[in-house]
Amino acid sequence: MAVVADAGGSPDGKFAGALRRPLTPKTGILSHIASTSLGRNIGIGILLLILSFLTLYPLSMLFYGSLHSTPPGMAGEFNLDGYRQVLSAENVLILINTVGISFAKTIPAITLAVLLAWICARTDTPGRGVLEVLITLPFFIPPILTAMAWGMLGNKQVGVINMAWQWMTGTTDSPINVYSYGGIVWHMMQYSTPFLFLFIVDSFRAMDPSLEESSRMCGASRWFTFRRVTFMLMLPAIVSSFMLSLIRGIESFESPLFFGLPAGITVITTEIYNAINHRATPAYQYATALSFAIMAGMFLLVIWQWILLRGRSYTTVTGKGYSPNITKLGPWRWVTFSFCILFFIITVVLPVGQLAVGSFFKFFGFYSWDMLTLDHYSAVMQNKDFWRSLSNTMLLGLLGATATMILGGIIAYVTVRTRWRGRKLIDALAWLPWMMPGMVLGVGFLWAFAMLPGPIPIYGTIWALLLAYMALGTPISVRVMSSAYHQLSFDLEECSRVHGASWWQTLWRILIALAWPSFAVGWVLTFFGIIRELSASILLYSVGSEVLSVTLLKLWANGQAEQVSVIGLMMMLLVIFFRWVQLKLIKQRISTL
Amino acid sequence: MSAVLVEDVSRTFGDVIAVNRVNLKVERGEFVTLLGPSGCGKTTTLRMVAGLEQNTGGRISIGDRVVSDAEKGFFVPPDHRQLGMVFQSYAIWPHMTVFDNVAYPLRIRRKSKAEIEQRVMATLRLVEMDKFAQRPAPALSGGQQQRVAIARALVFEPEVLLLDEPLSNLDARLRTQMGDEFRALQKRLGITSLYVTHDQEEAMALSDRVVVMHGGHILQIGAPEEIYQRPVSRMVAAFFGSPNLLDAKVSACEPEAGTRYFQLTVNGNGWQGKARASEKFEPGESVLILVRPESVRVGDQAADGALSWTGKIVSSIFRGPRTSIAIETSGVRINIEAPAILGLKVGDQVKVAVPAGGAWAIRPEDAQK
Ligand SMILES: Nc1ncnc2c1ncn2[C@@H]1O[C@H](COP(=O)(O)OP(=O)(O)OP(=O)(O)O)[C@@H](O)[C@H]1O
Ligand SMILES: [Mg+2]
Repeated sequence: MAVVADAGGSPDGKFAGALRRPLTPKTGILSHIASTSLGRNIGIGILLLILSFLTLYPLSMLFYGSLHSTPPGMAGEFNLDGYRQVLSAENVLILINTVGISFAKTIPAITLAVLLAWICARTDTPGRGVLEVLITLPFFIPPILTAMAWGMLGNKQVGVINMAWQWMTGTTDSPINVYSYGGIVWHMMQYSTPFLFLFIVDSFRAMDPSLEESSRMCGASRWFTFRRVTFMLMLPAIVSSFMLSLIRGIESFESPLFFGLPAGITVITTEIYNAINHRATPAYQYATALSFAIMAGMFLLVIWQWILLRGRSYTTVTGKGYSPNITKLGPWRWVTFSFCILFFIITVVLPVGQLAVGSFFKFFGFYSWDMLTLDHYSAVMQNKDFWRSLSNTMLLGLLGATATMILGGIIAYVTVRTRWRGRKLIDALAWLPWMMPGMVLGVGFLWAFAMLPGPIPIYGTIWALLLAYMALGTPISVRVMSSAYHQLSFDLEECSRVHGASWWQTLWRILIALAWPSFAVGWVLTFFGIIRELSASILLYSVGSEVLSVTLLKLWANGQAEQVSVIGLMMMLLVIFFRWVQLKLIKQRISTL
Repeated sequence: MSAVLVEDVSRTFGDVIAVNRVNLKVERGEFVTLLGPSGCGKTTTLRMVAGLEQNTGGRISIGDRVVSDAEKGFFVPPDHRQLGMVFQSYAIWPHMTVFDNVAYPLRIRRKSKAEIEQRVMATLRLVEMDKFAQRPAPALSGGQQQRVAIARALVFEPEVLLLDEPLSNLDARLRTQMGDEFRALQKRLGITSLYVTHDQEEAMALSDRVVVMHGGHILQIGAPEEIYQRPVSRMVAAFFGSPNLLDAKVSACEPEAGTRYFQLTVNGNGWQGKARASEKFEPGESVLILVRPESVRVGDQAADGALSWTGKIVSSIFRGPRTSIAIETSGVRINIEAPAILGLKVGDQVKVAVPAGGAWAIRPEDAQK
């Protein structure tokens, strides 16, 4: 669509959707600030400024830093050394590792997700509603927690799984070792399956049953119909989730950090992390150049995805409340039921159970009655670092989620509901972090803060983290809010205007009143995103501004798996609480709309 | 002083001229309908009156107040225009109850609680929705939503009520019923209404005056009968039903006694007779003769000067109350709506005639436009 100019009645773009009629505030004597072009331009200007600082600025600083020979904030010269180092034989291996691991986890994850989505949306498996909640839970658990839990479960020497195996078979060999390629893939798969499930399940559910019924009426068998109609209609959703999963796999940090590093398997994110944190002299230029290169790669991937999906989204999803075709499974429904439960046990019960068990025994790996203790709890309670990082995380979570959602709500409003000049630019800027892994954005912000003029001391404070979290969360918040606005017809707003409400009154009484459940749902999502964030935090924290994930990592590195278990367990409770709140909200929304 | 005055109003969207120099006057208490095919600019016109769209040319007044003047760059936003509006989608706010929806305009105007209560209930009673006051808005049927939308638009006694295809989401039976109910209410309360529809029957049944639009222009304004019986152009004629339009030549023209019309004597291809016209024609000029299918009588003895044909029935479709037949005679094909009771069959030879006043002459030039 063309960028549309509409300043007080000047010609609109030819292609401006004739069907959508945004409420365009106009110039006029009785109008208020929001509708005068001056007020509007100032608003747009401020929005552009904030967004540029959050996204464009770190991005350009990334490029700057990749050419700069010394660490951020020091005088140096410009050269291409960073990129020269990037082009090494080891890095080819790293790239193959990264992409290979991501593929290796995406393919089984998507198969599982389609299967689970089909079970939950289209079969008569008992307790589907509850199963769905259970299956999606792993997505909300910070991967760092499950990584640590699996690190304990699948430990070659003292892991529960191997011990159980040895006890059962009477042998002494340990078949499972999570510190391996398999371990990385296994762990990634666990949280990407529910993510993909969430992505796919709605398109399964919202499919117009008559599309399938007409195929059956043409004489096609059930299986033929599934392959040629159901699956083909789902294909756009599946392809886009495939690409998304691939991208997320490449960006993933926790799994390769926990399971790859000890086994000597490096991927791009851990390579960047190593270059800055684990070398005698941090190789900033190299790390930055690598970050920039990976971001460029991501950009190409996103473009590819866009080309793949162009014009392929069939609108099978309509506003009508279809009840989709339900396949009667007969006795098989208990098989599908058990399958879902098994998934839940492996991805949630096992790791959480490990954390719980680990937190009550003196030493992890030695489970006997006389080893039971509450010492770790009191140790954690007395651990000042823990309290500080907990309050930092909570503060950042509350502030960050609120700020991100407000920003996202405004951006979405401007891009969806108005035809203001510059809205396309705003949309594009807000979307930029989508292709920046947390690690890359962290490097970008490192440079960005260091390059700020003296009197703005952001670096080293928790505000640095706040800004990074906002940047990372903005694409999601904009998505959530724009889909909320898209569901509200313009008539609802215009009707309010005609009946005497001003622009502000309409915003408050109609738009916000109707969109707040989405806001709350988005808020919880962003909040989850912040408390789980590790890759940007690990680069941007400093003494005093640690967050929980960083503290956990430090404790883990010091070998205090028991305290880690305690903290992990508490975080789990927090996650379950917020997830419960979110589900309640969604339910309420469905019953009111 | 009229309730709504639209003077030379235009609206362009880029290169598209959605509304082109429209002039329109709605009197107090009058029910005026904008009628036209899809995309002709009805909604845009209505939205400009509402203030939801800004006119790029011309001037709009409501009551004695100018609300928009494109030349002076003057524009009153919709919330300051004191209008009621019913949207095609009804735009019932889903997060409020029926009561809250209707109370909204009063709450915005900061009325007292007691007054709100009293006026909302009175208005809901008017549309027979008082029993549903505490219902959540989404739990309403289409027809009920429509009533609530009307109540909400009426509750603060607006100067003008604007309605954009309010009945188009209802099924056929309900549509007629709601339309009649609304018309009765409108007459009783004397609400000035500007109504948009693309349904000709609805427009004729409801309105005091109909405005026929096409391609952003107004083709004709007039009472329903006038528009139907005496269209000014072929386009207006063709918009209602499927009329017979026959080419002919004028042989004589004289003013009709006691009216502002003219009596023409016309010659067609093998037929001749009298027709009325709104303007003077010169002998020898070509005209189009409009004959509505239901004005043609089968088997009647032609009165003096009436048009009549004899021909064979080439098609016949039974429609219940009537039968649609077509006869062919010396190259002309005439569609007729005949009473079903006549039992006409294909192949029958019949004589048909048009009673006086059933034929209307249109100048073909503007028909060509
Ligand atoms: N916001 C807009 N941007 C561009 N063109 C528009 C816009 N709104 C309307 N138009 C164009 O103006 C013309 C008139 O539209 P309008 O909605 O007034 O038609 P309408 O008579 O109400 O039709 P319908 O019966 O289908 O509702 C159409 O050609 C339409 O495409
Ligand atoms: Mg319309």
